[in-house]
Amino acid sequence: MEIALLRYLSFTNLSVVAEFPISLTHLLAITALIIAIICFTFRSNSVYLVDFSCYLPPDSLRVPTANFIEHCEASNVFDQECIDFQVKILERSGIGFESCMPIAVHEIPPNSSLYKAQEEAEMVLSAIVKDLLSKHNINPKSIDILVSNCSLFCPTPSLTSMIINKFGFRSNVKSVSLSGMGCSAGMLSISLVKDLLKVHKNSVALVLSMEAITPNGYKGKVKPMLMANILFRMGGAAILLSNRKQDKHKAKYKLQNLVRTHLGSDDQAYQSVFQQPDESGKVGVSLSRELLHVAAKALRTNISELGPLVLPYSEQLKYGWSVIKQKIWFSAGQKGTYVPNFKKAFEHFCIHAGGKAVIDAIEDNLRLHKEDAEASRMTLYRFGNTSSSSLWYELSYLEAKGRVKKGDRVWQIAFGSGFKCNSAVWKCISDLDPDLRNSWSDRIHLYPVEIPNVSDH
Amino acid sequence: MSSKKSRVSVHSKLTVVPSKPSGSVKFNPFSSLDHAMGLHSLHMVFYYKKNPFGSFELDPLRESLSGVISMYPKVTGRLTRLENGNWAVKCHDAGVRVMRAKVSATLDEWLRSADGSEERDLTVWEDMPQEPNTWSPFRVQINDFEGGGVAIGLSCSHMLADLTSATLLFKSWAEVSRREPIEHPPFFNSSALHGQLVPNKHIQLGKYYATKSEEQFQASVKMATATFKFSNSVIKQCLYEVNENCPNATPFELLAGLFWSRITRLKGPKSYNTHSLSICIDSRKLLQDPLPIGYFGNALHFSQLSLKGEEIGHCELGHVVELVHNRVLGIKEEEFWAVMNWFEAQKGEGGKFAPPFRMYGPELTCISLEHMLVPSQVAGSTNMTSLIYAATFDKDEKPVHVSGHVGNVEGEGLIVVMPSMEEGLARTVLVTLPEKELAELCEDQAILRLGPTMLLSGKR
Repeated sequence: MEIALLRYLSFTNLSVVAEFPISLTHLLAITALIIAIICFTFRSNSVYLVDFSCYLPPDSLRVPTANFIEHCEASNVFDQECIDFQVKILERSGIGFESCMPIAVHEIPPNSSLYKAQEEAEMVLSAIVKDLLSKHNINPKSIDILVSNCSLFCPTPSLTSMIINKFGFRSNVKSVSLSGMGCSAGMLSISLVKDLLKVHKNSVALVLSMEAITPNGYKGKVKPMLMANILFRMGGAAILLSNRKQDKHKAKYKLQNLVRTHLGSDDQAYQSVFQQPDESGKVGVSLSRELLHVAAKALRTNISELGPLVLPYSEQLKYGWSVIKQKIWFSAGQKGTYVPNFKKAFEHFCIHAGGKAVIDAIEDNLRLHKEDAEASRMTLYRFGNTSSSSLWYELSYLEAKGRVKKGDRVWQIAFGSGFKCNSAVWKCISDLDPDLRNSWSDRIHLYPVEIPNVSDH
Repeated sequence: MSSKKSRVSVHSKLTVVPSKPSGSVKFNPFSSLDHAMGLHSLHMVFYYKKNPFGSFELDPLRESLSGVISMYPKVTGRLTRLENGNWAVKCHDAGVRVMRAKVSATLDEWLRSADGSEERDLTVWEDMPQEPNTWSPFRVQINDFEGGGVAIGLSCSHMLADLTSATLLFKSWAEVSRREPIEHPPFFNSSALHGQLVPNKHIQLGKYYATKSEEQFQASVKMATATFKFSNSVIKQCLYEVNENCPNATPFELLAGLFWSRITRLKGPKSYNTHSLSICIDSRKLLQDPLPIGYFGNALHFSQLSLKGEEIGHCELGHVVELVHNRVLGIKEEEFWAVMNWFEAQKGEGGKFAPPFRMYGPELTCISLEHMLVPSQVAGSTNMTSLIYAATFDKDEKPVHVSGHVGNVEGEGLIVVMPSMEEGLARTVLVTLPEKELAELCEDQAILRLGPTMLLSGKR
């Protein structure tokens, strides 16, 4: 075989030398072709976060505690025990009197019609899309990909169609509306866009994350289902992503990692956040007592995948050694596995503001300090649980406080039904101006506040 | 008429919360006078030709209401009893109830054909429940007429506000919606009316209030309301006619005297007894340390004027007007403090105020709103302009009519003398009397010769 090859090569050599002398032009052409192939193979897959905008509800829509309680009573749907339970949870929820509900919920009885839900979605999404596009002078026709996620409201035409209609997007825009995917769907939308941007070059994508409060009030008696009534508030976020080279210099962040974890195969996790009818047929979302345990398990699984990608080797070694020790010396199990110090990997943390207990548990599990969870707690207090958009309110907080510097890494952790835990790691690639108006700007100087254990009303 | 189906149908109800938090929860106690007014309610209706509200849901006017009530924490709170049993407002931003209604008539048709009982449907009439901690003491009702036009009804418990406070709250709302500064910001200070010790000269006064408190009403007589609008020129003419007796009579005194004398005559056989008129005036300016007009709460004073039946029956209008005028002039600060002292003296164990009784009644009561007229800001005009008609949401779109009613009035009746849309001396008089008497009054020649425009008096 080698002889045949040599013979072939010598033949080509001879033929080339004899009949096709290699000219300088040809050499340059071939070199250029090779460089192009190399560039094509190693082309950047970077996803840049150009900017994002969170919905700022008008103050007239806020829900002071006294008002919430009064509406519970006036709706004539709950008995005294249910009202007392909701009041107790609300007082201890860590949610303040500035969080807002859509106008339909301010009616007596609350109006949960389709029309009102569409109105809520339109109100939130139009405001944030308008804000984001006008801030950067972007023509809606230049958006190539549009992804929305809203778990509990899925109208026809879809929410993306609503925005395409309202703003006039191009006819070949690639739109996807995600529904039913829970509070972690914001990260799922980002993940979807990341994959789409691998296939579609030179594209700009817009992600819209929100949850609809209007159609989802629970009118029954089951306590795990009443929690949702108390915790969720109006909110939404629009995120502009791009893989275009020209957007690199004006983008705020670059996506470093995105890790998705799904514990759905475990029954306990699958049933921990479940929309179902109660005994009397009233539909609500049930939050199980084991939720924190499930969330911790999901987080551990997520960081076992994320850790090696972001942690310095020293931490990875310590973690690995701790796992080995645990396997060999069972007594070490009493202390538990070493929790890597994530502060060595990240400067800022955005923990899903699902509730006070969730934030406390994650802060504890990750051995974080109080100030690391400040953005999460303050977002929960000011805006309530806005579902998938809460991570973006938290990032807005950090930006408005001027804490995010160029080179800083931000870790966003989202939890949601499934049970899912999705993480995104962003690196700040430009100097951010804290004076640029965002949803926190009007009152950032009043924060952080001391959140009372039991709020007054 | 009572079985007629109402032309007003309420189709939605919501709560408007103040946009600015009032801070930590505070308890705002009520004064003795506030407690005394507790049985009554106030109902004002502002009629506009053009509806300044759009869909209302996402409307800037809902936002402006939310903004103005941020400055009135008492308005958005809830009534609660303190330890000593007295009432206070718990200021915790619970909000104001707002209803939306449709009227199956045009504005003009309504003003022509509706009567007092139908007009009741334009505001919210709710008795204070036993447990008022989730009851909104202030209620707004927005009534859309066919073909445009709107009537905005404001009702509240009389414990929280008098007609002056309620009007200025509404006017402030209009100012906030026009993005202008509030001309008469609210002043909250319940201890401003703490009784000053005055020598107990006014025994009669004590008896007067004691009588009010003891009055027990039998089966309530059906009352009806009619509105008489008198033009500037007519009032001017009348004042000229009584000039001999009473050179400085105000339109209120003229109209109070006129209606009192005519109504007394109607009452027939009783005309040989003593007839009393209860005059209700604002007391803010009466005090040596005058309260600002923005004082939010009750600052009014009831004063009695009694005449023998034959005096009213036989003498001229001018004489009656003179007597009313002298009575009004004669009300001094001392009298007001004497009343406050009387209320304090009625306090029970632990400083709990006595239960309220009907302050409007049992005799015919006449309310003066002359203090709501202020010199016009228009250069070169010597006219007085009313604060009531200054509540314009759209620039220059004044209300075409404003009604003021008091709830839970029994006895002989109530007369409210209000400024009119027309500036100057023009007045609108709202008369509430037993049905039969009112019907007769509307035919009375002494009144009809003044050519009043009849509004909201039913089909006549």
